[in-house]
Amino acid sequence: MKRLVLRRREEAVRGGQPVAFAAGLVFALVIGALLLTISGDPVLGTYQRMWDRSFGTADTLSATFNRAVPLALAGLAVSIAATMGLWNIGAEGQIMFGATAATLVGRVGADWPSPVLIVAMLIGAAIGGALWALGPGLAKAEIGVSEIITTLMLNEVAVRLIVYLQTGPWKDPDGFGFPQITVKPEGSQLGIIWERSHLGVLIALAVIAGFAWFVNRSVWGYELRIAGASAKTAAYAGISMRKKVLGVLVLSGAVAGFAGGIELTGTAARLNENISNGFGFAGIIVAALALMRPSGVALVAVFFGAVQVGGQSIQTLGVSPAVAGILQALILFGAIGAAVLSTYQLALVERKVVTT
Amino acid sequence: MTHPAVELDGIWKRFPGVIANAGAGLTVRPGTVHAVLGENGAGKTTLMNCLAGVYRPDEGHIRIDGQEMIFSSPADALGAGIGMVHQEFRLVPTFTVAENVVLGAAPPIIDAAVIERQVGDVAARFGFEVEPDRPVWQLSMGERQRVEILKALWRDARVLILDEPTAVLTPQESVELGEVLRRMVADGRSVIFISHKLDEVVSFCDEATVLRSGETVSASIAVADVNASELARLMVGDVAVETVPIAVAIPGDPALTVDNLTVRDARGLLAVDGVSFEVRSGEIVGIAGVAGNGQRALTDAIAGLEPIEGGTVTVMRTDVTTAPPQRRFAAGLAYVPEDRLGVGLAPKLPITENAVMREFRTLRRGPLLNWASAREFCDRIVERFEVKIGRHDAPLAGLSGGNLQRLLLGRELSGKPDVVVASQPTRGLDVAGVRAIQRLIVQQRDEGTGVLMVSEDLDELLSLADRILVMNAGRIVGEFNAREATRTQIGEAMMGTATEASS
Repeated sequence: MKRLVLRRREEAVRGGQPVAFAAGLVFALVIGALLLTISGDPVLGTYQRMWDRSFGTADTLSATFNRAVPLALAGLAVSIAATMGLWNIGAEGQIMFGATAATLVGRVGADWPSPVLIVAMLIGAAIGGALWALGPGLAKAEIGVSEIITTLMLNEVAVRLIVYLQTGPWKDPDGFGFPQITVKPEGSQLGIIWERSHLGVLIALAVIAGFAWFVNRSVWGYELRIAGASAKTAAYAGISMRKKVLGVLVLSGAVAGFAGGIELTGTAARLNENISNGFGFAGIIVAALALMRPSGVALVAVFFGAVQVGGQSIQTLGVSPAVAGILQALILFGAIGAAVLSTYQLALVERKVVTT
Repeated sequence: MTHPAVELDGIWKRFPGVIANAGAGLTVRPGTVHAVLGENGAGKTTLMNCLAGVYRPDEGHIRIDGQEMIFSSPADALGAGIGMVHQEFRLVPTFTVAENVVLGAAPPIIDAAVIERQVGDVAARFGFEVEPDRPVWQLSMGERQRVEILKALWRDARVLILDEPTAVLTPQESVELGEVLRRMVADGRSVIFISHKLDEVVSFCDEATVLRSGETVSASIAVADVNASELARLMVGDVAVETVPIAVAIPGDPALTVDNLTVRDARGLLAVDGVSFEVRSGEIVGIAGVAGNGQRALTDAIAGLEPIEGGTVTVMRTDVTTAPPQRRFAAGLAYVPEDRLGVGLAPKLPITENAVMREFRTLRRGPLLNWASAREFCDRIVERFEVKIGRHDAPLAGLSGGNLQRLLLGRELSGKPDVVVASQPTRGLDVAGVRAIQRLIVQQRDEGTGVLMVSEDLDELLSLADRILVMNAGRIVGEFNAREATRTQIGEAMMGTATEASS
């Protein structure tokens, strides 16, 4: 009697992940082709368009990089919290409040020299994100309130805050009565480094690399690993869990807030409640696909960004938004499946029955 | 000709950087209790996990009653009649005994009364004393072990593997276990018994197979033909087996003073109730007692892991009652906790990171850890305490129990402590490991360190300690001179039956 079983590999296969990733992608594209055939859309034409608009040309590739920036930073934010077993579901709100803080700095320093202004806005964004995570961090560290609930609920507060600002104090006087916030100051636009890519791409890479390096090499990162391993071991080593929980959540918020600052200075014209655009939630998926390793988020974010950009582009071909959405989901599903499967193996097992 | 109940032949199992089994073999005749002996790291547990379907051997054959088998999961092995009782029990504390026993093999509709009666019947057949309707959290470790064995019998296991079953039992419970095993083999079943305690092997087992470095060095020796010291020699190889030499202690000034210490446990009950004692430089003070009488709370409170409600702890002349653990370490207090992997070490982290857990604050360079110094620090421990490691950055979990404890003790001793508090430092180690740890502890004492040693092994305390304190219900109920006291005297004090503490 034979049967097929899925079992965890005792050892990861060297170089198995890229292969599994490719296989997952092919699987998704084949299923997607069936779907497109049923909906009456041209299969090759649609895939061609997705490719062209995400990776195909220097112009689109550079735009994909821009899209990857907030995804990567949000993914980094989520994976930082995950090192301590914490879930930051509030990157969305932290991005929004980070961008709000950056806007505040921009309003104060509108006539500062451009580099000074940009640096100040980005620092303001990080501080804003950190402040937005401070409440959940304190509540978790001091009395054990679930950070999942608190960070999630603060997302809604951030939306309301921006809506209030754009209808009230920060309303654009030249907006013909539209509820919108004044355009960001001229000097706050990040420079372009390649085609459409702005400087934020390099900044994000530097932040991710710097963080990964710091966690690996620093005393703080070492303490983080011990605290993530076991609360009792942390106590034994004299490491305060309270400080670590608070520190990790605040840092996670700062990175997410920083992403909001980059979005505002890099791609957005002004602050509005859509500035986070779902990046905070997508960051959870990015972090999960990167297996919660900070070093993996950049690559995953580029892939994720490409799928998003490509998926949106095919709607102009006449593919319905629903089909486009399913295609995006399929591709991500294929990739997640691949990530999981590369740590498992399928085996055909001979099963003998005792006959004595 | 009848087939062997179990036949393992040429089993190879490799892990990254380690060969756990190198062609090991084992043959168990039906109706016998078969001991598998070997030092920690000899490959006993790996071999048993291959038999129980937890691992798949890289090479080799598994035959059950002469039938070639390939197991891909513990369920497969159980289906072929192989049941294993692991060292850590896998029970649901809030379920009753009967519910735990039938879990995963229950009829579609569970009628509590019916399964309790059926489980009771199986228990009675093998002479178990259990109450099927009691929730498991109320049971002692010995009773829980019986539930684990019942689980295997409920599934009609023909071969039962017990991994160090007596480690958690009182002497009386060990004897009862022996009787249960006899009934099982009388019923035609077979038992594979993994143990370090050689006297038990001699009294419980019919045959023994000895593993060393993943290979079988002696297969199916008739236990009746050998004695414990011959078995010990087979286990450790050519290394001379000697006992730890003990000189008479020359105690000095108080190194650790505990005065009227009171500690409450998580449920708010008094775990340590007004305990006072002194450990002087150059003496070993043993704490004896039945498990769960406040020993763990006492040592955790001394080390700063448990909040102190009342009283004081003083290390050399420093009051550390409210100091955090790292300040106590700096004041000269080293701690070897009972739960090595859950408290004293982080098994998933690299060996180097475990080695510097106490010292990392002194190895910093600005905000960074000086990793070159950290590795040197680790190497010094590894060299001085003869820890066998592979790569520095490999997870600690890959080390055997004896090597783990050497690394932990080595790390604690590297700070040149004035007092060492060691809780169950030799539990679960093999003969060579026990000797090595005991030798290190005695050596520390001879160098003038005060040692407080908690152990459930009375013989260990009697041979190593200078004074023995007995704990019962959170109090010190007796103090004995270890050179003069007898097992009986201490045993009575442990049970709380001694009328007056003698000294």
